[in-house]
Amino acid sequence: MIARRGEGRVALLFLLPAGFGFVLFYAWPALQTFYLSFTDYSLLATPNWVGAQNYADAMSDRKFWNALLVTGEYVLINISVQTVVALLIAVLMHRLTKSSVVRGALLLPYLIANVVVALVWYTMLDAQLGIVNAMLTWVGIDPVAFFGETSTAIPTIALVNVWRHMGYTALLIFAGLQAIPTSVYEAAAIDGASEARVFRTITMPLLRPVLAMVLVLTVIGSFQIFDTVAVTTKGGPVDATRVIYFYIYEKAFQQFDFGYAAALCVVLFLILVGVALAQLKLLRAGSSDLD
Amino acid sequence: MRFPKLAAIAALIPLALAGCAGAPADGGGSNEVTYWLWDANQLPAYQACADAFQSANPDTKVKIEQFGWADYWNKITTGLVAGTAPDVFTNHLNYFPTYASKNQLVPLDEFVQRDAVATDVYAEGLADLWVAQDGKRYGLPKDFDTVALFYNKKMLGDAGVAEADLTKLTWNPQDGGSYEKLIAHLTVDANGVRGDQPGFDKSKVAVHGLGLDENNGAGVGQQMWSMYALSTGWEYTDKNPWGTKFNYDDPKFQQTLGWFSGLIEKGYMPSLATARSGSSVNDGFGAGKYALSTNGSWMIGSYFGYDGVEAGVAPTPVGPSGKRATIFNGLADSIYTGTDNRDGAWKWVKYLASAECQKKVGEQAVVFPAIPEALAIAKDKFAAKGVDITAFTGAVDDGATHLYPITDHAPEIASLVGPAVDAVLSSQADPSSLTAINEQVNALFR
Amino acid sequence: MTLARNGKPLWWQRIRWQKVLGWVVLGLLVLITLFPFYWMLRISLSDNRALAANAGSMLPADFTLGAFERVLGLSSLDEARKQGGSGASIDFWRYLWNSVLTSAVITAGQVLFSAMAAYAFARLRWRGREAVFFVFLTALMIPPIFTALPNFVLMRDLNLLNTYAAIILPFFFMTPFAVFFMRQFMLGISREVEEAARIDGAGHPRIFFRIILPMSRAPLMTLTLLAYITAWNEYFWPLLVGQGENVRVLTVALGVFRSQTPQGSPDWAGLMAATLLAALPVIALFVAFGRRIVDSIQFSGIK
Repeated sequence: MIARRGEGRVALLFLLPAGFGFVLFYAWPALQTFYLSFTDYSLLATPNWVGAQNYADAMSDRKFWNALLVTGEYVLINISVQTVVALLIAVLMHRLTKSSVVRGALLLPYLIANVVVALVWYTMLDAQLGIVNAMLTWVGIDPVAFFGETSTAIPTIALVNVWRHMGYTALLIFAGLQAIPTSVYEAAAIDGASEARVFRTITMPLLRPVLAMVLVLTVIGSFQIFDTVAVTTKGGPVDATRVIYFYIYEKAFQQFDFGYAAALCVVLFLILVGVALAQLKLLRAGSSDLD
Repeated sequence: MRFPKLAAIAALIPLALAGCAGAPADGGGSNEVTYWLWDANQLPAYQACADAFQSANPDTKVKIEQFGWADYWNKITTGLVAGTAPDVFTNHLNYFPTYASKNQLVPLDEFVQRDAVATDVYAEGLADLWVAQDGKRYGLPKDFDTVALFYNKKMLGDAGVAEADLTKLTWNPQDGGSYEKLIAHLTVDANGVRGDQPGFDKSKVAVHGLGLDENNGAGVGQQMWSMYALSTGWEYTDKNPWGTKFNYDDPKFQQTLGWFSGLIEKGYMPSLATARSGSSVNDGFGAGKYALSTNGSWMIGSYFGYDGVEAGVAPTPVGPSGKRATIFNGLADSIYTGTDNRDGAWKWVKYLASAECQKKVGEQAVVFPAIPEALAIAKDKFAAKGVDITAFTGAVDDGATHLYPITDHAPEIASLVGPAVDAVLSSQADPSSLTAINEQVNALFR
Repeated sequence: MTLARNGKPLWWQRIRWQKVLGWVVLGLLVLITLFPFYWMLRISLSDNRALAANAGSMLPADFTLGAFERVLGLSSLDEARKQGGSGASIDFWRYLWNSVLTSAVITAGQVLFSAMAAYAFARLRWRGREAVFFVFLTALMIPPIFTALPNFVLMRDLNLLNTYAAIILPFFFMTPFAVFFMRQFMLGISREVEEAARIDGAGHPRIFFRIILPMSRAPLMTLTLLAYITAWNEYFWPLLVGQGENVRVLTVALGVFRSQTPQGSPDWAGLMAATLLAALPVIALFVAFGRRIVDSIQFSGIK
C-alpha cells in the first residue's frame, strides 16, 4: 500500500466538529477538575491552592481504598458475566435467527432508565415482599436478602446491571459478527465443522477488534457504577457497596469537599487510562485479522 | 465541496432552535420571586398561599417549582455554584449550616427587626433551629415534625392488647420494660406461636413485633433509635445547637444500641439485611409484616393510606428518665444571597411564615404548621381523616422534645457513624466500637 | 415408519440438537429479560395503596388504569390522591415532542460527526493519529458529574439555559463511544474499493459519503439506534439545563413520580406507568424500523 503525505490536513477537517465538542465539553472541564484537585475548593467558596495535600490524604484514606476494592469486585463480576452472556446471545442470534423481535426484546432493558431498573429490581428482590423471594419460597428455598447482606449486595448490583446491558452489549457484538463475511461460514459448513469449532477458529479471531472495543467500553463504564447504588443500598450495609464513584459523589456534593473529590477523580482517571491501555495492547484493538 | 456545507448547516440547527425557545426563564423579572420545594403533596397548599399572596401584592409574582428530594439538592447546589438558585427555597437542617457558613443565605435579622416580625409565635424551640453559629437568623419556621409509634389495630386486637395501653408503655435499656414485652407478644412465627411463648421459632417469623427502618440512621437515628437513647437522659452533643463534642461513647447510648440490636437477635425485629433488602418499613407495615413501627409525622399519609391495614398511632414509650422523647425538627424558608429581588423574596418568606399562610397549609392536613393556631386547624383536619395526631403533638406539650442535633460537619459525621451503627445492628461489631468512632467524630472539630 | 440402524426414528435423528439447545438457552434469556417488564406492567395497573398488601400476587393489585391517567394528566387532584399519587400535573404530549426533537437532533449530529472523526482515525494516515485517538478515548474516563458542573456554567454564560440548544449541545458533536465504535468498524473495510475510487480522482468527502458511509451502513444503523435511546434516556443533564416548561423533556417531567420526600416511597404505580409510556415511542421506533435495520445489515456485505 502506498503511504500518502498530506492527509493530516484532511484529517483535521474531518475531526473539526468532533474535536470542537471534545475540547469544549470534555477536555476543558477535565482540565478544570485537574486544577481543582490541587485546591480546597468547596463549591461555594473560592478555591485555595493546597498543593498535593488532597492526594496525600487519599493515600491514607481507608474508605477510599475500600471503595476501590469494592469497585474492583463489582467490575470483575459485572464484566465477566456480561461478556460471556452477551457473546452467547450474539452468537445464538447470529447462528439461529435474524428475528428483530428477539433482538428488540433483548434490547428492551436498555430502554429503561438506570434508576428505574434499579428500583424495579430492588422491589422484586426484597426479602419479605419481593416477587423473586416469593417464587423461591414456592419451590421451598428460604428467602434471601439480596441487596441487604454485605456478602450478596455487590454481586446483586453487578447482576442487575448485567440484566440491563446484556442485550445492548450483545447488539454491539452482533454488529461485529455481521461484518464477518458469510463465505467463511459457508466454507466451514462444507467442511462439516462443528459449531464449537466454527466459534473457536472463525468467529473469535475475526471478532477480535470489535470484542476489544466492547471490552474497553464496558470495563470503563463498569468502573463508573453509580445510579444503582444511589437508589438502592446507598453504600451500605456498613460500607459493602460504597463504590468509588458513589464515594466521590458523597465527598463532592454532600460533604462539599470538591477539591478532595477532584483528586480522587484524577486517581480514578489514571487507573482507567492504565486499564484501557493494557486492554488495547493485549487485544491489539487497532488491527484486524481480516487484512 | 459538499460536506463542509452540510456540517455547517448541522452545526447551526441547535443555535437556530435556541432562538425558537425564547428567553431563559430562570432569574425572572425583578418583580418575580421563584420558590422551590420538594414535596409534591404540599404543592397545592403552597400554591394556595401564593395565590392569596399575589392578590394582596399584585406587584410581586410568585413562581413555584417542585423537584423530588434527590434532585432538589443537586439542583440547589448547582444553582448556588452557577448563581441561578431560586430566590426563596425550602431549607433543611442537614444543609442549612453549610449554606449559611458559605454565605449563600441572606440573614433575615434586619428584615425581622424592620418589620417587627415576632419569632416567638412558633412552637417553642423551632425558631432557634435556624440561627446559625454566627448568631444570625437564616430562616423562618414553616412546619415541624416529631416521631411516634404506628400500630396495626387488628394485630393489637388479636393479641388482646387495648389501644389505650400503648400510652402507658415504659422502656429501659436493660430488659426493655413493658415495651419489649409488648413487642415480643406481638411477634408471631410461622406456626402462630407468639414471641413470648415457649416454642417460638425466631428463624421463621411471620410478623415482627417492631419494624426496622430501611434508612441508614446516620448519626441521628431519628426514627430508629433516637426516642430510646434520648429517653435515658442521653444527649447527642455537649450543647445544641452548635455542639462541638459528641457523646457516642456514653454507656447510656451504647446500652441502648445494644438493646436495640438485641431485638433482632431475639427475632422481634427483622435483621438489618432484611430491612435493607428492598422495601420500605412503611410498605412492610402496609403488607402486615410488622405490628409496630416508629416513624415521623411526615409519614402519616403513608401509614394511614394502605388498603387492608387499619393503622393507629401512639406516643413513644416512657424511658428511664421518666419522660418520653422524640426528635423535634422542622423546615424553614431561606433566601438566596444571589437573588435580584431581596425585598420581594422577604415579603414572600414573611408571608410563608405568617399565621395566614400556615392556616391554609393546615387546611390541607399534610404537615404540622409551626404556628400553634394553624396547628389546631391541621389537628381538626387530620381528625376528619381519622388520624389523631396528639401522639405527635403531645410530645411538644409535655416538653418531651429534643432538637435535632445541629452541628458543623454533619455529612462527615453521618458517613462515620452510619456504617458503624450498621455494623452493630448486623452483629459485626460490639456497641463499644462506637467509642473509637466518637473519637474520630470529635477530632473533626479540632 | 423407517427406522435407522440405532432404532430411533429418522425424524428424531434429523433434529439438530445443537440448534434446539440454542433455542432453549435463547428462550430462557428472553424470559429473564421480559419478566421485570411484566412486573412493571403489573404495578402500573395496580392501585398504589393496595400494592403492599398484595406483594406476592402475580396479578395487578386492585386493577385500575388510574396510574396511566395520572401520567397523561387525565385525572383530577382528588382522584390521584385517592390512589396514592401526588396529583402533580403533566403536559405529557408536549414533553414527548420535546424528547423526540432533542433526541433526533442529538442523534443526527452525533452520528455524522463521530463517523467523520472515525474516518480520520481509521482511514487517513497522519502523524500522531494513535495518540490523538487515545486522547479522544480518555473522554470516556471523565465521570459525568465532573463535566456537568462546568458545562452548566458554560450554558449559563452563553445564556442558553432553558433552551433546546443547552440540552442538545454537549452530545451533539461527539461521544467517545460513537467515535470508538465507528473507528473499529471502519478499520475492517478493505482498502481496495477506496484505492480504486481514488484512482478515479475522487476526493475525501466523496469517498467518505459515497463509499465508506454506505459500506458502514450496518454499524451506522446500530449506532443511530443506540445514540437515540441514550439521548432519550438522558436525565440529569436536561434536569439541570432544561427545566423550563417549553423545553422540558419526558424523563425530566416524569421525575415527579420519583420519591418526593426524604423517606417517602414513590408513587409506584405512577412511576411504572410513566416509565412504560416513556419507553413506548422508542419501542415503536424499533418495531417500525426493525425490519429495515435487519435488511440493511444483510445487504451491506462487507467483502
